[in-house]
Amino acid sequence: MTELATMEFHPQPQAGEAKPWAFPAPTRGTLHNGLTVLRCHRPGQQVVAVEVLLDAPLDAEPAGLDGVATIMARAFSEGTDKHSAEEFAAELERCGATLDAHADHPGVRLSLEVPVSRLPKALGLLADALRAPAFADDEVERLVTNRLDEIPHELANPSRRAAKELSRTLFPADLRMSRPRQGTEDTVRNIDSAAVRAFYERHVRPATGTVVVVGDLTDVDLDGLLGDTLGSWTGSAAEPRPVPAISADDTGRVVIVDRPGAVQTQLLIGRIGADRHDRVWPAQVLGTYCLGGTLTSRLDRVLREEKGYTYGVRAFGQVLRSAPDGTGAAMLAISGSVDTPNTGPALDDLWTVLRTLAAEGLTDAERDVAVQNLVGVAPLKYETAAAVASTLADQVEQYLPDDYQATLYRQLAATGTVEATAAAVNAFPVDRLVTILVGDAAAIKEPVEALGIGEVTVVTAE
Amino acid sequence: MPMGHTATDQAGTGGLTATEHRLANGLRVVLSEDHLTPVAAVCLWYDVGSRHEVKGRTGLAHLFEHLMFQGSGQVKGNGHFELVQGAGGSLNGTTSFERTNYFETMPAHQLELALWLEADRMGSLLAALDDESMENQRDVVKNERRQRYDNVPYGTAFEKLTALAYPEGHPYHHTPIGSMADLDAATLEDARAFFRTYYAPNNAVLSVVGDIDPEQTLAWVEKYFGSIASHDGKPAPRDGSLPEVIGEQLREVVEEEVPARALMAAYRLPHDGTREADAADLALTVLGGGESSRLYNRLVRRDRTAVAAGFGLLRLAGAPSLGWLDVKTSGDVEVPVIETAIDEELARFAAEGPTAEEMERAQAQLEREWLDRLGTVAGRADELCRYAVLFGDPQLALTAVNRVLEVTAEEVQAVAKARLRPDNRAVLVYEPVAGEPAEDADPPEDPEAEATVEAGDKNEEAAK
Repeated sequence: MTELATMEFHPQPQAGEAKPWAFPAPTRGTLHNGLTVLRCHRPGQQVVAVEVLLDAPLDAEPAGLDGVATIMARAFSEGTDKHSAEEFAAELERCGATLDAHADHPGVRLSLEVPVSRLPKALGLLADALRAPAFADDEVERLVTNRLDEIPHELANPSRRAAKELSRTLFPADLRMSRPRQGTEDTVRNIDSAAVRAFYERHVRPATGTVVVVGDLTDVDLDGLLGDTLGSWTGSAAEPRPVPAISADDTGRVVIVDRPGAVQTQLLIGRIGADRHDRVWPAQVLGTYCLGGTLTSRLDRVLREEKGYTYGVRAFGQVLRSAPDGTGAAMLAISGSVDTPNTGPALDDLWTVLRTLAAEGLTDAERDVAVQNLVGVAPLKYETAAAVASTLADQVEQYLPDDYQATLYRQLAATGTVEATAAAVNAFPVDRLVTILVGDAAAIKEPVEALGIGEVTVVTAE
Repeated sequence: MPMGHTATDQAGTGGLTATEHRLANGLRVVLSEDHLTPVAAVCLWYDVGSRHEVKGRTGLAHLFEHLMFQGSGQVKGNGHFELVQGAGGSLNGTTSFERTNYFETMPAHQLELALWLEADRMGSLLAALDDESMENQRDVVKNERRQRYDNVPYGTAFEKLTALAYPEGHPYHHTPIGSMADLDAATLEDARAFFRTYYAPNNAVLSVVGDIDPEQTLAWVEKYFGSIASHDGKPAPRDGSLPEVIGEQLREVVEEEVPARALMAAYRLPHDGTREADAADLALTVLGGGESSRLYNRLVRRDRTAVAAGFGLLRLAGAPSLGWLDVKTSGDVEVPVIETAIDEELARFAAEGPTAEEMERAQAQLEREWLDRLGTVAGRADELCRYAVLFGDPQLALTAVNRVLEVTAEEVQAVAKARLRPDNRAVLVYEPVAGEPAEDADPPEDPEAEATVEAGDKNEEAAK
């Protein structure tokens, strides 16, 4: 075959003039029933995103009933005073809507997406679900059985299994965070409709809730709509509830969850650290990105692009719970999969990357590229109503001001290389990391022990 | 400018429009303006996918896609990633049966950079392609295969069902990820030959969507892509045509270490781009899309024999599409119980057709999915390329939702009657075994029909 003719080369083009873009600022209000409302008009976004936050955190679940918040969240879409479970699902889908609900440490979130033309109908259904959920005995029983059926699937998935083990290893047993968010077989089994209703009555009320509505709201009378729907939801005032302090044991150690014959080892290496109320957060975001934010970050440059041990390893910080009094925390972690025979060498390289970072720091060029990416992608990242609504809801959930995200972009741009280095090194100290490996213990235990990254224990998979 | 032709705008969904152009070297260009957000999406579809691969070289199209990120004439090392990300953009590439796509979403003022980068690798990839990147990316792709298929429960179900549904020798018999043996066997010369054969401007469609100046954009496209030589000699892919129905039930039982019994099936359905495919999409939505579907109501709500049950459509243009059924059983329920219920529901649906309410629900769901897809510049750019490459007319992307809404209940019933029958499916049954090493494994409710260069952004959290 002959070689192709050569093309005409041109020098790399320079960027044009950046157009202004700012993270959208929401408008705040309150309904008569005390429900906080954040709204944000996004021209052109025909699919409206609605997020509802309920102050029903996992640590409020009664002892022995882990998972009741999850079952309640799911039961919201299983019938109301107007519709049976099947009818409710049908009515929602007739709107072209999707409604997801899940329970996490800070509270329960419902996410509705619907074409703007059918927003009134869908908001009515959402309001029914919150105001008058049926929680019928047989529907709750079905959700409990369904949840019990899901658990073995999660335990068989290496990344889910690793996450469960990390929580168990890191946190003290009496802290809700040490246990699976959606409960275990032993606790889910105890849940019935009475337990769900009791949890609802105790923790779900408009006065402690927030709704976020984002989309193209041209010609939408949102006040009227909300008044007619979520405005008819009533509830008592809330009693203050103490929030338990978060603690974790990040003594460097390794737990292998044995999966004989596994062709890869799932890695999850983590500890807890600063959340968004800490001044270090922007630097921590920047430093974590430089360490493992993308395939050109330090970890993948070695583990993937030089060695080929993995399809990708990522470092990230994810808020667990956040509060203005400084009691919050974020999970800081490194995760990915490496092939079984290279598990030892891959971990060795990973620790070398961390040690080198601590010894030599980040370069200015790395810092610059990271800032350009993290700040530059904002207009792309927040193109859809759902993305904007989700971030606004996160801010509310974490007791952050509505202009937090906009401020964060300015802070990132002002963060220097030295601060980013310090934050990354503090976030991932080589001797304070809990390593979970889901893989073939017979093949990986010895090489991992030889690394000296902590005591190695093996647990059998379920 | 030596443009072959320029077609005029046509207003489609939500007033969206697109214009079409062609460079002298055959590169087709589609532009769509949208100034709501200062971003621009660049999408390039090459008309080559795993269906073009030959025996012994499965996975080559996807492995090659990885090599497209390893530098080109003027771009060193990981420069394609570094330059786009450093400009505040995002990028990826994916390979399916029918095409390979590369895409960047950029802040609008960085559009020219993305065009320069795509042109550089289209015109000069071989200047940078070497053994080192070949060996490295071979290992990366093998780890991609392990992570997404071999190391997760039910992970190879899609591969197994595809191999059952399309006969030996059929271009869709194997999936884009390819086999480990073939990935090992691929040589640098294979990759070079692959590039010379398929990576030509006249075998690609470029779309640019968003906050753009069309005249300026076309001038950049001409400047950077215009001098890349066209070449012919691409062999036609092997014929993918098959009889309308399989004619018998194909079946495989897999005994593996999986958490629960499962019943999966692939029904042979009409080709994408036909009205019958849209009717099939609606039929599958009524039967198994979402939580008000017939199968969900029957198996999950009423019989309580399944933990999850759903139907999806894998649209294909060069071979029959696949209707994809996935049911995971509850507790100790046996597969025949599930199968009997499904057959009853499908027979009843074929006999009665959808109710007016079911049609309304299914059309509303598919309409929202289209609004979602066309609601971002990247989604729109991809759809414009899809219709241009597979059906010769990008404008069809903007009117696709209207066609779904025009389908009648009678047409939905007709396609169900003709196609959703036991003698037109390949069935995969999973029976769990305990404690043995499992060499096989996972995904999901949706078939993994694509292989990508980078895993989904787990760093989404990072900038929050």
